[in-house]
Amino acid sequence: MDDRFLEAQRRAPRGEFANALRERLTALERDAEVHPARRGRRWLAAGLAAAALAVAFTFPAVRAAAQQMLDVFRVRDFAAVQVDAARIQQLENRHLDPGSVLGGKVETVHEGGPPQRFANVDAAAAAAGFTPARPTLLPAALAPESVFVTGAATMRMTVDEAKLRSLLESLDVRDLELPPGLDQAPIEVRRPTVVVQTFAGPRHRRVALVQCASPEVSLPRGLDLARLGEIGMRVLGVAPAEAHRIATSIDWRTTLVVPVMSSATRFQQLDVNGARGLLLETTQTQVPGGPDRGPGRVLLWTHDGRVYAVMGDLESLDIVQIAQSVH
Amino acid sequence: MAMEQVIPGWRWLSPAREQDWDALYAEQMPRVYNFLRFRVGNDTVAEDLTSIVFEKAWRARSRYRRDLAAFGTWLFAIARNVATDHFRQRREHAPLAAAAGVASGATPEELAERRSDGERLARLLAPLPARERELVALKYGAGLTNRAIARLTGLGESNVGTILHRVVVQLRAEWGERS
Repeated sequence: MDDRFLEAQRRAPRGEFANALRERLTALERDAEVHPARRGRRWLAAGLAAAALAVAFTFPAVRAAAQQMLDVFRVRDFAAVQVDAARIQQLENRHLDPGSVLGGKVETVHEGGPPQRFANVDAAAAAAGFTPARPTLLPAALAPESVFVTGAATMRMTVDEAKLRSLLESLDVRDLELPPGLDQAPIEVRRPTVVVQTFAGPRHRRVALVQCASPEVSLPRGLDLARLGEIGMRVLGVAPAEAHRIATSIDWRTTLVVPVMSSATRFQQLDVNGARGLLLETTQTQVPGGPDRGPGRVLLWTHDGRVYAVMGDLESLDIVQIAQSVH
Repeated sequence: MAMEQVIPGWRWLSPAREQDWDALYAEQMPRVYNFLRFRVGNDTVAEDLTSIVFEKAWRARSRYRRDLAAFGTWLFAIARNVATDHFRQRREHAPLAAAAGVASGATPEELAERRSDGERLARLLAPLPARERELVALKYGAGLTNRAIARLTGLGESNVGTILHRVVVQLRAEWGERS
């Protein structure tokens, strides 16, 4: 089929038009940045809120907090919880983000800025502030492609108990009491600097290794995390009995609960160099910076206080081998 | 499907997927613009509609800050709606203007204008039914694959290919006659 006559009809937009539109879009961005409410929404929209709520409340590992009256939680272990895709869609349709779920004020304390690209890991180390680990085994003829570093970011929110209660009622979650001391409780989420190494191979295979220090969440000391976690799971559509069972069986001080939607066809826990990892097999996996991919896997684990993820469209064994070789 | 659809909250925890918005704009704007050129057959209107698409998308882009593929798909979903709204308003407000560039008895000025690429394209595509014209716009204006078009439109991929083949054969014959 000779369709070149149609392809030849494409035209580059006028430069004047392209520049003027880009300037208007930049103005829109500036407008968003000077309006705190919009800024908060923008920040939070980057993560699904109810989910982030559950994530935030489930960051593990209490350590002696420097701040008085605050407990700080860090990721050491993972546990997957299957959540209701229809409920996630329902929350998205209602434009719920962590701020609106918690009902209170949301503030971006510090933006991480756009990712910076480096030629190799050594060049990225200075920007990262640590020496990134790298895989010593790359199957499927994979070769290093690029390295990105994204700076640390911090978000602060306060809880509005009345609004949270109203949300639960609207979702028909009426059997759970909110923990005492929740109203106006300050919550701070700190995402450390993240390094992403991507690897490319034949047949457009791409794999990414993501690593960072553990994200941290500061909460008022003494909050009932198990109940908060249970509430988070119920918001995400986990059945009452299952949410209660999980909430009362996991160690909330050491475990990050990962809400997994049904598009993850399978998940399992396995050993990664002595640490417990969580392997998700997905219907489609997208490597950072890449297009939509086919079926893929994501393996999450922690080691020496650092959180790692390997993701790509390789077989599980290959993903695990890459993870095992990261040093 | 992006990781966000597998692990809610992933985007926030995974800034590696943060987009370079300038690069995204440079890549996607010409595709959206050409999609709309093919749809409406008028460069000026295509610019106006492209502005509408991007301004709508930009206001909510943070939702896609780490998901370029999803943002691109979303852009074209918006562009399709914007084009549909454009035609709906045109029908409501200026029904006689519907057949862009195909009126007979044109003045010399109009004939000269028709020599432009945009007008020629408009004349070629104007008789097509809306669905066929949209498929041509997505394929040859936006440069999307049949698979991507199928995902956007809800048609089967093979169906997209069949329709496009038939339409292109028809258009090529008309293009030859008009040359």
